[in-house]
Amino acid sequence: MAKGDALGEFEYLVLLAVLRLQNDAYGMRVRREIAERTRRDVTIGAVYATLDRLEEKGLVAGTLSEPTAERGGRAKRSFRLTGAGITAVNRARRESESMLDGLRFPLPGGAR
Amino acid sequence: MIVDPFRPPAAFRLLLHAAAGEGHLDLVAGDLHEEFVYLCERLGRGAGSRWYAAQVLRSIPQLLRLRIRSGELTYLLSAMASSAVPLLLLDRFWRFVYSQIPLKDGLDRAAGFLAADVAAVCLAAAISGAMAGSRRRAAMLSMAAAAGAGIGLWASVGSAPIFYAVAVLLAAPAGSVVGFAKWRGK
Repeated sequence: MAKGDALGEFEYLVLLAVLRLQNDAYGMRVRREIAERTRRDVTIGAVYATLDRLEEKGLVAGTLSEPTAERGGRAKRSFRLTGAGITAVNRARRESESMLDGLRFPLPGGAR
Repeated sequence: MIVDPFRPPAAFRLLLHAAAGEGHLDLVAGDLHEEFVYLCERLGRGAGSRWYAAQVLRSIPQLLRLRIRSGELTYLLSAMASSAVPLLLLDRFWRFVYSQIPLKDGLDRAAGFLAADVAAVCLAAAISGAMAGSRRRAAMLSMAAAAGAGIGLWASVGSAPIFYAVAVLLAAPAGSVVGFAKWRGK
């Protein structure tokens, strides 16, 4: 695996959010999904910058929909994982599980 | 006609328009609008507005980076260069021409030379404006062309009468807009 192919932490979170949201994975839903599940204050700019990067890497693909009134007459772009995106998520999960294997949480002496 | 009861704060909408690139503006503005309405209904307009403002302000660095990556900066720089370079080249050329005429070196340039400068800037800006794919980009390119013309004037060696400077500064954006209106996408 080339160095540039490795997923960053936030990229991994965005891919998981897209996976969770399935057909409804667009910028704001991805942002809300990550914010609610991780309790992080995520900006829409960070989500779009990451989606843009992931699309460039070929891990997600976007589809533009028709403008709607609830969005002030603007279109939205829904994303889905590509085959390479699914492979990348599986690999990241395997790596994470492998690193966690045998460790006990919460770690002694640390906050929960 | 759809009347929108919730409109995000105007200043931050403008800021978003300035920061977001063409490819992302509609998507980001639509997403923020949707969430803004949702928050206004749940928590009130004040909370919605504060959230909107914070999102716009904190998203500016990433939106600008996206703009650079999408190549918009290249367009702007080439629009600036399209006005500045002809001015500078012609300025050097006219100086050379004057230096060949005995007792003329160092004198102000003739009106015909200045008119040729204005025409060259106008034509170059029109070519650059013709490459704009949308009105928004055309507006940005015309501002960049005016900035480029300003740089060209500032860096010119010869002295410039005020009417000439005004004509050049107007010709660059006007040429860009005309180029877009006449030849866009061709």
